[in-house]
Amino acid sequence: MNSNDTSRRDFLVTGLLAGATLSGCSDKPNPFEDKVTAMIKPSGKMVKLLSVDGEVIEVDEAYLKPVEDLPPVSNMEARKGIPGKKFVMVIDLSRCKSVKACQVACNHAHELNPGDNWIKIYPMQDSDHTAPYWEPSTCMHCDEPPCVKVCPVDATFKREDGIVLIDSDRCIGCRFCMAACPYSTRVFNWGEPDIPKEVKEKPYSCETSMPQKKGTVGKCDFCADMTRKGELPHCVSACPNGVFFFGDMIEDTVTNGAETFRFSDLIRDKAGYRLMEDLGTKPSVYYLPPVNRNFPFEDVEDSVGTHKEKV
Amino acid sequence: MKKYKYYTLTGLIALQITGACFAQTEKKELILGLSYINDNNQVQYLKANTKAKVEGKFRQISGIPVSFYIGSAVPANLLGKAVTDEHGLAALPIPASARDEWNKSSSHSFLVVSDSSVSYSAATTSIDLTKARIRLDTAADKKITAVLVEQKGADWTPVKGVDMKIAVKRLGGDLDVSETPTYTTDSLGEAHADFKLLNLPGDATGNLVIVAKVEDNDLFGNLSTERTVPWGTSSGFISDYDNRSLFARASRAPLWLLWMATSITISVWIVIFYLFVQIWKIKKLGA
Amino acid sequence: MEISARQKIIDDLLPKKFGAKGRIWALTLVIVCLIGMYAYYRQLSKGLIVTDMRDYASWGIYISNFVFFVAISLVGSLITAVLRIVHVNWSTPLTRIAEIIAVSAITFASLIIIVDMGRPERFYNLFIHGRLQSPILWDVIVITTYFFISLLLLYLPLLPDFEIMLKAKAGGGKFLRGIYSFLGSFWKNTPQQIKISEKSVRILCITIIPVAFAIHTVTSWLFATTYRPGWDSTNFGAYFISGAFLVGSGAVLVAMFIFRYMYDLEKYITQEHFDKMGKIVVMLALVYLYFNLNEFLVPAFKMKKTDADHLLGLFRGEYSRVFWFALTTSMFLPILILVFRKGRKPVPAFIAGVLVVVGSWFKRYVIVTPTLLHPFLPMYDVPDSYKHYFPSWEEWAIAMGSLAGMLLIITLFARIFPIIPIQETISEIEEHEKV
Repeated sequence: MNSNDTSRRDFLVTGLLAGATLSGCSDKPNPFEDKVTAMIKPSGKMVKLLSVDGEVIEVDEAYLKPVEDLPPVSNMEARKGIPGKKFVMVIDLSRCKSVKACQVACNHAHELNPGDNWIKIYPMQDSDHTAPYWEPSTCMHCDEPPCVKVCPVDATFKREDGIVLIDSDRCIGCRFCMAACPYSTRVFNWGEPDIPKEVKEKPYSCETSMPQKKGTVGKCDFCADMTRKGELPHCVSACPNGVFFFGDMIEDTVTNGAETFRFSDLIRDKAGYRLMEDLGTKPSVYYLPPVNRNFPFEDVEDSVGTHKEKV
Repeated sequence: MKKYKYYTLTGLIALQITGACFAQTEKKELILGLSYINDNNQVQYLKANTKAKVEGKFRQISGIPVSFYIGSAVPANLLGKAVTDEHGLAALPIPASARDEWNKSSSHSFLVVSDSSVSYSAATTSIDLTKARIRLDTAADKKITAVLVEQKGADWTPVKGVDMKIAVKRLGGDLDVSETPTYTTDSLGEAHADFKLLNLPGDATGNLVIVAKVEDNDLFGNLSTERTVPWGTSSGFISDYDNRSLFARASRAPLWLLWMATSITISVWIVIFYLFVQIWKIKKLGA
Repeated sequence: MEISARQKIIDDLLPKKFGAKGRIWALTLVIVCLIGMYAYYRQLSKGLIVTDMRDYASWGIYISNFVFFVAISLVGSLITAVLRIVHVNWSTPLTRIAEIIAVSAITFASLIIIVDMGRPERFYNLFIHGRLQSPILWDVIVITTYFFISLLLLYLPLLPDFEIMLKAKAGGGKFLRGIYSFLGSFWKNTPQQIKISEKSVRILCITIIPVAFAIHTVTSWLFATTYRPGWDSTNFGAYFISGAFLVGSGAVLVAMFIFRYMYDLEKYITQEHFDKMGKIVVMLALVYLYFNLNEFLVPAFKMKKTDADHLLGLFRGEYSRVFWFALTTSMFLPILILVFRKGRKPVPAFIAGVLVVVGSWFKRYVIVTPTLLHPFLPMYDVPDSYKHYFPSWEEWAIAMGSLAGMLLIITLFARIFPIIPIQETISEIEEHEKV
């Protein structure tokens, strides 16, 4: 083992484990995800583990749990959002083939009923002589959201990090937000949603938007619970063609899991644009035009309807 | 009559047994994967992933109990057990109990075993691991050097010809520091990269986290090392959460709206209240 | 005035017991209400899925019924307030009819909007978490305000009649007399009381007009504050108000004919009244027609892409039948009938009034749902049933139930209180005699 003390310091980041653990200090950061540190409360129970050097290190058991087991945040926290971030999505239309893996993953992750797709993939053709293309659309999480403006009870709200969420414990089901949204992105739980019992019995969390409740509105939530953990939304991870890019505009970076780009470069180089810019909603979802298509446009059956859409 | 009853009974039982046998042999094949992960030379752990063909598509399988071993699948070498979660993943940090075995050599093999169950056949897989580390150095002129060393006997020797990724840690992914996607280590085990990201926003004080990674290497598993550098611009985030606007929360309504609505409502209701008083006056006059 | 003449008027105008026809009418209304309540029970237990509303047509006949109710309720401010302020005397017999229609309509407007909510039990959230930025909250405030003002405008002119009813021998049984004395036994017809009452009514009439304008303008803003084709119009406030006055006066035409017929009030609601109300309806229909022309012809001239789909759907497409039906019955036919003197006789005027009311109900539907079925992005990745709308039986039952409820309140009111102001009628004749 290298006995050089300075190089050993280089192996360990930000004054952590080896020194602290050997001294038995219990107040240490999470060895897995430092951004998520603040959310985890040390349980006090220590586990003995092995470092690469063959030394014994002690870590609080709480940090070893998978990141998914984080407790949901309070309603107030969920309404305020994560400071210092502004989430943005970039959808590359030249890669979309309407595989609908995003739709399947989103519906599964949020236990949605068939017909309640939060992600819809539209066959678009802007005019007779322009090319047809597939356009996946999520909630735009607008910076001037018309839906939030009209909600009478603050059941839908815009957070500091740009995400627009729905509080299904407060929604009165007036559906004004659905009338106000020009992107047709909101769905309504007309009847009792068909979800498993163990999901139904959990308390509602604005960040997971689960469980969906009868008589309230639902929509894409940019997987606020995943982004809080530093992970990507389900649609981004699920797309086999890397259509969805997600990131933080303040970090100026978006990623689809495999490829990471500087957001400003991507939009500038590929002439990104937003939908219905003229309405002044200031959406947070950018589109890259369908140039140099990966796949030619092929008619795919409507995932829920019984007839093919003609283009 | 009674004889027939017995025959039919035994016949039925026989059918059930054979039926059950047939049902039992309909087990699906479970594909296990194993990887070794060591982020930042902190806790090292093994991650098992499961896959099986369900309705023609490969799906991750949750709820599979797996056992991790070092060296060989004997109870003495058991590192621990875990159950796969909804993503089909089970992780196990390497426990201190493996210390003696671990210190015996610089290379080891790890195994993960899942026993045969009602729906799935038994599966096992193994990986080999040579202990390695990455050292990350940065210089003021924005040059990054990542050194990969492996343990050979008592020494850590440089490793040549391994692809490394050198990037800036961002949300959900890593942004390459320059146009080059990967850097290969030279004879000194070093990979050199220039930080080409001008004016990249960092945190509030302009710090960025540089990460050097070895991903899915057959010998070394997954390694990464991070270092914080002050090469970014300040993020300059100003919160607009408390701004008054039409789309803010109830307490942050625009002042002009509050004034208009309340003054109109109050003035009309003063009239209504006045009228109620008049009715009361009429009542008093007629009492 | 001679005592006998005075007594005759009182006898004519006191509320009378229901005859056979009245009982059948009231019973029918009660049955329709009960069916509506059963349908609502089904809706409460299963959710709004019992309706035909889905994600695109997310507002259906509950909302168009709501707009209809709010529209009709403006008649109180028109007939009662406006005409009073300009000292029009012929309208005095009609003021109470107009006012009870208004109060009843605004009550059911609030009820039907609760029916439309997905979570009616969370109604209180509007008060503890209300956002003043939302047009819905403005609507709640103005509707509540208008309800109280209309109630006052119904009650104050009613006060003098309590004394008459209590004094009259045929003034009703013990139960009714109990109501009368609770509500107005303190009215002694002293000059001081009269002075206060007249001043209060005058203030009310002036106040109710801007509130009435506000109520329907704010309701129109529920649509005009969105981006959708057919709703994104600067015209909506005036368009809705003119439509409201039209349907309100049409409702008065219907109500005055029915009361005249059922209670033998030919001497008080005369041919002249039909003639004058008819003229008012023609004028209002022409004003509404003017606003409709602006609302449809101007975007049709431009045929912007999103407007085009919507307008063509109304003029020629899926909604053309109901669109032209609504326009014809609410405006064209009534204008044709009432523009001629013969058309302003009681029976044709009544028919014209019915056409106005029915046509206006369908016109409200034309305003609400077709726009929702012409969204900006294609209707896709949804079940086929989402792309059309025809109300389910529960929706019809509840909508008809609410209309029946409104009529029931009016009917019961006429049973309990004099539908034509007694004291005012007497006073006016006395005034006339002096002159």
